[in-house]
Amino acid sequence: MAIVAQSTRRGRISRATFAWIVGLLFFFPIFWMVLTSFKTDADAVKPEHLFFFTPTLENYLNMTENYDYWRFAQNSIITAVFATIFALAVGIPCAYAMAFNPARGTKDILMWMLSTKMLPAAAVLYPMTFLTKSLGLFDTKFLIIVVLMLINLPIVIWMLFTYFKEIPKEIIEAGQMDGVNTWGEVREILIPLAWGGIVSTALLCFIFCWNEAYWTVRLTTTDAATLSKLIEGNRAPEGLFFGRLSAVSTAAVGPIVVLGWFCQKQLVQGLTFGAVK
Amino acid sequence: MTKWFEEHLPKLVLAPSFIVVLIFVYGFIGWTAWVSFTRSRLLPRYELDGFIQYDRLFDSPRWDTAFSNLFVFGFLFIVIAMILGLILAILLDQNIRTEGAIRTIYLYPMALSMIVTGTAWKWILNPGLGLEATVRGWGFEDFTFDWLVNPDMAIYTVVIAAIWQSSGFVMALFLAGLRSVDQEIIKAAQVDGIPTWRVYTAIIIPAMAPIFLSAFIVLSHLAIKSFDLVIALTGGGPGYATDLPATYMYTMAFSRGDIGQAASSAMIMMAVVFTIVVPYLYSELRTKDD
Repeated sequence: MAIVAQSTRRGRISRATFAWIVGLLFFFPIFWMVLTSFKTDADAVKPEHLFFFTPTLENYLNMTENYDYWRFAQNSIITAVFATIFALAVGIPCAYAMAFNPARGTKDILMWMLSTKMLPAAAVLYPMTFLTKSLGLFDTKFLIIVVLMLINLPIVIWMLFTYFKEIPKEIIEAGQMDGVNTWGEVREILIPLAWGGIVSTALLCFIFCWNEAYWTVRLTTTDAATLSKLIEGNRAPEGLFFGRLSAVSTAAVGPIVVLGWFCQKQLVQGLTFGAVK
Repeated sequence: MTKWFEEHLPKLVLAPSFIVVLIFVYGFIGWTAWVSFTRSRLLPRYELDGFIQYDRLFDSPRWDTAFSNLFVFGFLFIVIAMILGLILAILLDQNIRTEGAIRTIYLYPMALSMIVTGTAWKWILNPGLGLEATVRGWGFEDFTFDWLVNPDMAIYTVVIAAIWQSSGFVMALFLAGLRSVDQEIIKAAQVDGIPTWRVYTAIIIPAMAPIFLSAFIVLSHLAIKSFDLVIALTGGGPGYATDLPATYMYTMAFSRGDIGQAASSAMIMMAVVFTIVVPYLYSELRTKDD
């Protein structure tokens, strides 16, 4: 429920209009980027062609033909999907144990793991590059999946934990009375009950993996390079080729924007780390 | 056997990730700390040599810029994103029928990667291509908006892009907070004829204190992570005007071949994070569950 100053019909409509105008402002940079992606590089830099131009698919064709977009996209999908699955596979039993079987110290461990996320990743980059190169793991999908999983694991566990905590302990205990084993409890009781929360967590983890640029750009060259690397590679230092860069960026964020629109509830739940239920 | 297994499940599940984090985070930090006390340049050397790297660091004007940028950027970004998020939340909390869709649109930037955000804003802020050129094209020849290439103002463009990215997120947090405030108290205040703005400042906002804390933690986390945003938006330039400690460190380690400087700047960064952020994180998580 909201507190509303005056609830006249006109007041409500004008507030809604205002909220939509702000929404358009918010969406404008994305809109501008999508628009630019349909312009030639020459049109893209001409202000008089801001809204009026001859749309072209040249940038997208160029991207798929000369830049091997699909290989980068495939790498992005594979690494993000597997990292999310593994993070959930470790996170669900972990959060389950902490929510229903708490041992002393587990929460401290979790807090400690969360706090490591605050440390500047730059401090770890140099030794990490050094080590992965000498182990022969540099530029492999395996490495990227492991890294993506590990950096998101603390948040995944934390979010799942907040959802699991809301499930009454009695339900789990009733299952134990009936002689269901741990795996059965997780599969038959916990997962169905917390399904919404698990989906939101998975979506958040997927988005974070998909967007991750720090590690994926710096720990890959070609074989495991993701869409972030493709954008990075198209950033001409002089700031030229905006049409092409916009097309690459649009193609990289498109899946997230579309996915997010169809899973609005999970997107909001996930992006607010479960604060909005 | 199964009993033992069930009892120790939490530890068993946590153990591998615990060990990996232990090695990767602390092992590497330990290595960085050690190297920061050596004369390492292009390759790491391991003979300790006192505070020489820190002396060089504090003598470097570039580090001065990077270090003060962190505070300018962090402060403005966190404060403005919170204020804007609060205003947007109050706006959306006015019985707007299409609230769900608007909320998603406000949140969208948060779902974009920082390099895409940087790219989109680089376009808009570029004086020759974006906003300035467009407004001039409409006939306002004197319109100037060249922050991106102005060394004194460039850091504020990073602030703008970062605020755009996360104020929708703050809005969603605050919106949830507004809904959780006890409606009885608000109704009572309204019955007493207290003006709406007083209801907000005296009752609702104080009741949302824990949410301010959560927002602060996530935003400071983002501020520390904005490395990619700076790289994509300004590349640290013009010159080194928008360098942050993270980009300084990256430049030293990977393009200047000065590992010692990189390591010492990383240690200073770490010290800042520990003194400012970690205490908040701990107090927040502890009070939440006790």
